[in-house]
Amino acid sequence: MQIGHKTPKNPNIPHDSAIGHVSGTSVYIDDMPPAHNEVFVEIVPSPVAFGRIRSIDTSKALAVPGFVGAYTYRDLHHNKFGPITQDEILMAEDTVYFIGQAVVVVAAESRSAALAARRAVVLDIEELDPCLTVAEAIRRDQYLDRTYAIKRGDVEAAFAEADHIIEGHFSIAGADHFYLESQACIVYPQEYDQIVIHSSTQNPSEIQHVAAHLLGLNLNQVVVITKRMGGGFGGKECQSTHPAVMAAMVALKTRRPARLIYNKDDDMQWTGKRHPFENDYKVSFTDAGVITALQARLYADGGAYNDLSTAVVGRALTHIDNAYFLPNADVVGKIARTNFPPNTAFRGFGGPQGIITIENICEEIAAYLGMDAYDVRRANLYGVDERNTTHYGQLVANNTLPELFDTLLESSQYRERRATIDGFNQSSLTHLRGMAMTAVKFGISFTNKALNQANALVNIYLDGTIQVSTGATEMGQGVNTNIKMLVAEEFGIDYDKVIVMATSTEKNNNTSATAASAATDLNGSAAVNASRKLKERIAEVVAQHFASTETGMGAYPDRIVFADGYIYDSRKPSRRITFAEAVNLSYRERVSLGERGHYATSGIGFDWSLGQGAPFLYYTNGCAVSEVEIDRFTGDMRVLRTDILMDIGQSINPGLNRGQIVGAFVQGMGWLTTEDLRYTRNGALLTHSPTTYKIPNIYDLPATFICNTIQNDNKVNVRGTKAVGEPPLVLGISVWAAVKNALSYVSGESIPTLNTPACNEEILSRLTYYKRLLERQDNNNHAFNEGFYHDEASVLLPRARSHAAGRAVRSNLSGKRARSKSGKADKGVTA
Amino acid sequence: MGHRDFVHFYVNGKEHRVGGAAVFQTLSDYLRQDLYLCGTKVVCAEGDCGACSVLVLDRQRSQAPVTGSGSAYKAVNACIQYLYQIDGAHIVTVEGLKAQNAINAVQSAMVDQNGAQCGYCTPGFITTMCALAQDMQAGVSACGSKDKYKDKTTCIKDALTGNLCRCTGYEAIIQAGLAIDLDTFQPVADLYDLASIDESLQSTRQQSVSIQAAQRLVFVPADLDSALGFLAGQPGARIVSGGTDVSVNINKRGLLPDVILSTCLLSKNDATLTAITLDTASNTVIIGALTSLKNVEAFFAEHVPEFARVLWVFGSPQIRNAGTLAGNIANGSPIGDSLPFLFVAGATIDVASQARGRRSVAIDAFYKGYKQLDLAPDELIVGIRVPLTQEILRLYKVSRRQHLDISGFTAAFALSLEPTAMGAVPVIKKLRVALGGVAATVLRMRQIEDRAVGMTHDATTWAILGEMARSAIDPLSDVRGARDYRLTLARNIFDKFYLETSETGTAPREPICK
Repeated sequence: MQIGHKTPKNPNIPHDSAIGHVSGTSVYIDDMPPAHNEVFVEIVPSPVAFGRIRSIDTSKALAVPGFVGAYTYRDLHHNKFGPITQDEILMAEDTVYFIGQAVVVVAAESRSAALAARRAVVLDIEELDPCLTVAEAIRRDQYLDRTYAIKRGDVEAAFAEADHIIEGHFSIAGADHFYLESQACIVYPQEYDQIVIHSSTQNPSEIQHVAAHLLGLNLNQVVVITKRMGGGFGGKECQSTHPAVMAAMVALKTRRPARLIYNKDDDMQWTGKRHPFENDYKVSFTDAGVITALQARLYADGGAYNDLSTAVVGRALTHIDNAYFLPNADVVGKIARTNFPPNTAFRGFGGPQGIITIENICEEIAAYLGMDAYDVRRANLYGVDERNTTHYGQLVANNTLPELFDTLLESSQYRERRATIDGFNQSSLTHLRGMAMTAVKFGISFTNKALNQANALVNIYLDGTIQVSTGATEMGQGVNTNIKMLVAEEFGIDYDKVIVMATSTEKNNNTSATAASAATDLNGSAAVNASRKLKERIAEVVAQHFASTETGMGAYPDRIVFADGYIYDSRKPSRRITFAEAVNLSYRERVSLGERGHYATSGIGFDWSLGQGAPFLYYTNGCAVSEVEIDRFTGDMRVLRTDILMDIGQSINPGLNRGQIVGAFVQGMGWLTTEDLRYTRNGALLTHSPTTYKIPNIYDLPATFICNTIQNDNKVNVRGTKAVGEPPLVLGISVWAAVKNALSYVSGESIPTLNTPACNEEILSRLTYYKRLLERQDNNNHAFNEGFYHDEASVLLPRARSHAAGRAVRSNLSGKRARSKSGKADKGVTA
Repeated sequence: MGHRDFVHFYVNGKEHRVGGAAVFQTLSDYLRQDLYLCGTKVVCAEGDCGACSVLVLDRQRSQAPVTGSGSAYKAVNACIQYLYQIDGAHIVTVEGLKAQNAINAVQSAMVDQNGAQCGYCTPGFITTMCALAQDMQAGVSACGSKDKYKDKTTCIKDALTGNLCRCTGYEAIIQAGLAIDLDTFQPVADLYDLASIDESLQSTRQQSVSIQAAQRLVFVPADLDSALGFLAGQPGARIVSGGTDVSVNINKRGLLPDVILSTCLLSKNDATLTAITLDTASNTVIIGALTSLKNVEAFFAEHVPEFARVLWVFGSPQIRNAGTLAGNIANGSPIGDSLPFLFVAGATIDVASQARGRRSVAIDAFYKGYKQLDLAPDELIVGIRVPLTQEILRLYKVSRRQHLDISGFTAAFALSLEPTAMGAVPVIKKLRVALGGVAATVLRMRQIEDRAVGMTHDATTWAILGEMARSAIDPLSDVRGARDYRLTLARNIFDKFYLETSETGTAPREPICK
């Protein structure tokens, strides 16, 4: 049955919490007023990356005024958990595996007493030799989970016939989520060992599961509630579990509410990051820059435990093609086990690490052939009717990539600006410019099929207002606003008649994390399904109502329309009742006014034993052009202009979606430019606060910033929309690639290399390297410094491998044509 | 007159008198935990994210009552303001901004433009943007220049460099700043009965505050004599002005001073300590020790724009509103942003003590080692003198991020050239160079300065001088940069300086604060 509704005119309503946010009245975990008998919880973390615990002395903590209790793993019912493989130890037993791993939990009457008690606990730990690089993990042969692979065609045969081959190594750095609200939870003990956990989490069901398991409870004894998060970005998908379970343990032990709030320094030191990757690659291509084969070995730094690393590596492998057709591919991923906090989900989830690998390759092919990298990318782009299946066998349906590329090339005036940049770099003695267009094709759906489902509860009240509850959690992205709009539009009522409630496992069971950009797709669809069931029932009642009072009109529920707050029969729109009147009619007819909706994504699946399948419902596509300017003397870089063009289908709320695009782009840019995680040689994070860890500032937004979307109706998804949370982050790569492009103007015959992040120090290191390289070539002198990281006096952990290994090298060209530099007549040398 | 045993301030129009150990807590903790004003968020607790920004009205003794527009309230970081730093102030938090219980023009612009996503940074942005709106109404740019702002977007960015947002990418926030309806924005000063608040605070401000609790002593002198008298009896007391460094060390590095002297009342009662004037006879700028960096920036924007440019990237507006030039000098860090300029300008520091009265020290004699100063435990910095010259001046700061970052390397050049015939290459008459971030203190490069005299102002000369600099320094590797990086910067900065000051230079200086 089709029941009509009309979409209201202006969908750009503000975020549903916007007024609370600007007034300071929105409530986050640590804003909840303390209960009278509440205790504060602090964690005593491992100070070393790897060690054996000799003894734990809590006697001095006991003497701290206000001390309530100290707990170890012995106070847990179980101690092992994990979202994919159950390999993680919550609280250290005899060995510590990373800095920040919980050893003891203390509870006290006040924040200051808890902190004093934490400091009074004495740990005696015998330090062992930690594994702090991927290279070292490879040497020790220590991995998490198994090896994953995707293969198509015959790469060896392609290499044998290749015009050109480039081999190289690429180091990709991690990044901290830097959600502004650090991990936080409060746990209230209830009767019969039931507990209510308020957590700043993207994944209430996961906390419910782990808390029940580790505390020896049934799942129905644990309720997890999330009103909102002060940012998540993936960092609260799995790692909000740890504080929640430890606070729950304290709440059960003390029978008192327990509050555990990380400060920013602890949070950054103890929690996992975006996975650093160390990738080896070998690519063959034609004279025209068309890739014929890609072989890649991806090594993710998983940290001490698996967490979500399996799925992160899986997404890296399924995204290493990005927007480009790979006729032959052999890509293999492994997860190195190191002594860092378990690395975890971070917006993009391995996708960015796969994508930057091939975007880097595109830049290198261009530098090698003397082509513009845009032309290399365009030549390799997935086609609409051919060259349109991925290396894992999924058809790239509804492919908007060629349209996006061709449109942005024109609108960004790419060719004209390239000519200007060529001229600028030849004349400027002080600055250097570069520009690059990079793409994103991001697969939407969880690669674990079971997670692609959601349920929603829609309750209609007698005044015509509605409460909606789903498994989606609100972290600022606006999922609650989207769902509120979808439901209001279904019933044809004002948006402000609908409230999306705090997420609770009590209302929505067995939910998936708010992740993979899919929260609106899944939960919005479930809410729409629930709403449609309710509409059918109300329409029956209203049809009867109109039929019984009007001569000549029978009761046809499918003629009933919900629009503008009214309900009417489309044959006689002038006779209408308000939505609230219809609800009251239905109530008097004893019709149920609450409903559950369920949604499961259809037509997706993937088999890792084959490395083949169609794991994604659709792809979100986009591309971006960024132009950068570099100070030749300091390496300081600024982004002069960025143009973004995306296909995000039909937006429910264009304003919120624009916020997602811009915010994700800037976050991706931060990962690749200023955000520099530095560790000591013992694996301790040095940059654990904003004083030293520099996320983008308001001045780092590109000086000129143009962001547009194309028209597209994504028919496979709710209301024709596409997911938008993660894909634009990948476009931050355009800034990094533009820096690499700038270096190609001064690298002479070398293909320039550039690590991530391309901070000013890294950039100046490369500028200096190429300057010296050219000087030494002139002088016929072979010895020169590779860069800034050969400094033995440095207290900083060097990158896993030096730049020497990261340089793309020409492979055996088998007598084929020598490299042509004719396309780059303007190669200048730095002053 | 006896001492007070409480600090006296207002929050959102309500009076607070706090004594005992409670004064040793931060304003943000006091707001959140004692007053349940939880709109003010704490993220970093070190003044580097702005989530805790609140508005402060500090009334000078001589000031006329404030009404209407004008930059009356200034944003500061509540996480590094201890209660002993806010005696005599009126604090307005995000909860205190609504007019007639409706969100104000700044708040509604942020709602309409989607300036808030997760909302955690939002209260800090709102308070800071209300200060911005005041400035915009008054036609004053964020950096304090009296010039009417030319570029609104720049003005907005300048005002908000101290606020980090991880969700929006800032575009929507800039749009909100542009969308503020200044015609309907009601200045914060108009929301409160400032006359009666003033009267109440005036009644206690002539009295110094002395609070001893929890084995700690804090003294808030009402005048300079009381301050010097206190220091004579408590030499080595920790002096706290803006607290932008000391309070961070208390929050993060376990600093727990037993005895504290807070200058917050001095800055209200003694105008000479907050004055900044140009003595035309000696062509010297005289800066009171408690002058905020924001006021220093505004003054130099007119007289030495190059120094204002460095102050523009010094911390953030919140830091510059609270911090003082004397604080940056007394902190003594080799990466203090103001120091290389003061070194090449030949600044002198005026210090005072009860026992020995006043004396002056040349700035490069003031530093004896890493954070070792020529400052006796009973002495207080009371002023800074900066001679103005007509030399070519260039100041450089290199940091990971341009704004709201601590430098890894700094440099200052002051150059004068011999007048030469048309077309001839000029000859260096006099050069002063200072480098920061390359040693335990900022270094005057005297060998280079001596060598340069008489050399031609050309690329070869500056390459030689740059090589001399690289050979002369022995920097450390740390989190802000590897040794090699700093060596390269020291070498390159000479080339950069030459190209910017010679006619062959092709790129002008990047835009400076309007």
